Amino acid sequence: MPKLRSLLLAAVALMALTAPGAAQSDYPNRAIRMVIPFPPGGSNDVVGRMVSTALGEKLGRQIIVDNRAGAGGSIGTAMVATAPPDGYTLGVVSIAHAVNPWMYKLPYDPKAFAPVGLMATGTNVLVIHPSLPVRSVKELVALAKQKPGELQYASAGVGSFQHLGTELFKLEAGIDLLHVPFKGGGPSMNDVLGGHTKIMMSSLVQTTPHIKSGRLLALATGGKKRNPVLPDVPTVAEAGVPTYEALNWWGIVAPAGTPQAIIDKLNAALSQVQDMPDVQKQFDLQGAAVQKMSPADFGKFVLTEMARWERVVKQANIKAQ
Amino acid sequence: MDLFNNLIFGFGVAFSLQNLLYCAIGVTVGTLIGVLPGIGPLATIAMLLPLTFNVPPVAALIMLAGIYYGAQYGGSTTAILVNLPGETSAVVTCIDGHQMARQGRAGPALAIAAIGSFVAGTFGTLLIAIAGPPLAEVALKFGAPEYFALMLMGLVAAAVLSTGDMAKSLAMVAMGLLLGIVGTDVNTGVQRFSFGVAELSDGIGFIVIAVGVFAIGEIVINLGNPEERRFFTDKIGRLMPSAEDLKKSLAPILRGTALGSFFGVLPGTGPAIASFSSYMLEKKVAKDPSRFGHGAIEGVAGPESANNADAQCKFIPMLTLGLPASGVMALMLGALTIQGIQPGPEVMTTRPELFWGLIASMWIGNALLVILNLPMIGLWVKLLKVPYRLLFPAIMAFSAVGIYSVNNSSFDIYLTALFGIVGFIWLKLGCNPAPMLLGYVLGPMMEEHLRRAMLMSKGDPSVFVTRPLALAFVLATVAILVIMVLPAVKARREVIQG
Repeated sequence: MPKLRSLLLAAVALMALTAPGAAQSDYPNRAIRMVIPFPPGGSNDVVGRMVSTALGEKLGRQIIVDNRAGAGGSIGTAMVATAPPDGYTLGVVSIAHAVNPWMYKLPYDPKAFAPVGLMATGTNVLVIHPSLPVRSVKELVALAKQKPGELQYASAGVGSFQHLGTELFKLEAGIDLLHVPFKGGGPSMNDVLGGHTKIMMSSLVQTTPHIKSGRLLALATGGKKRNPVLPDVPTVAEAGVPTYEALNWWGIVAPAGTPQAIIDKLNAALSQVQDMPDVQKQFDLQGAAVQKMSPADFGKFVLTEMARWERVVKQANIKAQ
Repeated sequence: MDLFNNLIFGFGVAFSLQNLLYCAIGVTVGTLIGVLPGIGPLATIAMLLPLTFNVPPVAALIMLAGIYYGAQYGGSTTAILVNLPGETSAVVTCIDGHQMARQGRAGPALAIAAIGSFVAGTFGTLLIAIAGPPLAEVALKFGAPEYFALMLMGLVAAAVLSTGDMAKSLAMVAMGLLLGIVGTDVNTGVQRFSFGVAELSDGIGFIVIAVGVFAIGEIVINLGNPEERRFFTDKIGRLMPSAEDLKKSLAPILRGTALGSFFGVLPGTGPAIASFSSYMLEKKVAKDPSRFGHGAIEGVAGPESANNADAQCKFIPMLTLGLPASGVMALMLGALTIQGIQPGPEVMTTRPELFWGLIASMWIGNALLVILNLPMIGLWVKLLKVPYRLLFPAIMAFSAVGIYSVNNSSFDIYLTALFGIVGFIWLKLGCNPAPMLLGYVLGPMMEEHLRRAMLMSKGDPSVFVTRPLALAFVLATVAILVIMVLPAVKARREVIQG
């Protein structure tokens, strides 16, 4: 009996040693699951589906999109965290991934993921309703300093980008604006278009039609460089708040412990997908631009983002639970 | 005449073979997902969106729109036949539609739902064509105070108009308000009554409550009454509504259409509000309100027209201003963007084939839906002859699949089962679950708008009387109360004078 047991143990140990190697060389040999922690239809879903389809073609296996929405994206992300680290479960993460650790008690360690790569970044635009008597960031800051806490801005909800991006603006510009939260980007945009709340920071894709029709005025864009869609609009930094920079971003992660060979293979395939003109065009239409990063760089990027939003959540005293 | 020329142009676009085909696909898929509970147009359109990348924009939009309004037709079918709201907006249809089915009048109920939807769809489409842009501008004037005042009017009207045991109705409304509170508070992000359960942090889903209370609860009750097992008579009777049915339904259809169009244009109202309001109105104007809840055809005709008019008119802000009035409309905007079209007021002038083609296709689509639905009635009604030992498990299975598909969450299925038990207890106690659903739908919206209005006015309640639109709704609310109280006062005075 002891002999049999040690034999079995040896066999198990051998399997444990060889299995990852075998899994890596023929990875992927079955369909991969891509968890999108938001409901169908939002930017995470559109971006995630688009890349999943193309990535699946490059890898020669289908990638099945699994929408697991709820709790600000933490339910789906928790599923990725606890999935077996074999490369067959991946997750889409976005700026919410860097915000949630400071807003909620999470059922997982937000830093315990194997970064795969960045997909794209998206620009946000600071827009106002034309009835607000300012025409530049400097005038807006001056008016807000005259009437602290009086001017109101709309957001898609507590902890949304529209909320935190503007809170960062408030911190950097040293002003006080009143936060008016809505349930989602659509209702908040409707309210600003009606001139009820007059300030909002929102995505390029949501604001551009209204900027072009003159219903909203664009004061600045949030990125480091001007956006080609709105070449005449300065960045927030150019317009007088030099320390401001905030972008939307979407990336892919795997559970911590996923073999490096699989991560590298995924990153290489992602890079090929990002070179496809079709995919680039789809990102353009979403107001986003593809941006490549190595797994290590993406890991550092996520940590930087987490630090940025930790500061905003703590200094602006935003609390959820 | 400009409108006439535009419409002819639109029909020219919509009648191309390709667009007709996409329209037919859209309404068929829509009817199907409408029949199945849980699987709603939002998820379906999101899944199908990538397939439309390679389809011309007009055809893509025609198909997606067809799914959306087709679901409104299909939603009534399960509501009437098995008391299962296939779509949120069909909850009200359950109340009288299912009673009609129990009385062997499933055919006329289904037919009147389809006819009412068609009338409403036609009118809604016409409204988009004639008055879309100015209506959308008016809708933009609605801020938080206006929405709150409007919903206050709705809730007061509902409370005053409800018949039956007043105390029980009020208790059920309060129950609905409490259920609606569960989840993340919009203003502060604080969790309420979620007990640390992550799945509860976004609130309890409407479909979970509706299926649990209405369908599961009802099934359990039926199993408990062996002598009444055969509530669907073997004799199904006539399929088509009689002349008297049509006469009774005409006014409710028109009123439902008007109400639905009104709520449809406003972006801040959900799909259930139009049909609830219509039901309340019909009950109020009826000569004999006690028939409601026992198979009154007006209770099917009005709400079914209202929800289709609402669905159609939700296109107005989307097409004319590029504003998403609901989640589905946000997806439509996404579909346009993917096609490289900037949504907004310019679409009407820069892409007239899109605007007028879509409008014309809605007419064709609504006609297709009637053609699709009316001959199907016989088939649907035959479904009722399926013995319960097969029908009930099938309903449970379909419900479970549908509920699971909303969030891919098994937690929702357990929750539905729990609500099935709760619904059973309510029915046993003689508590009507409909007021509970009204509270559940309206409560959180009212709270959200009230708190936003207070936030924006810095706690000054005068916003409700200084803004003309809000004031109008407040005055209307007072008027409803006065009208309701006056007859009672008058009656007392007569007693005193007599």
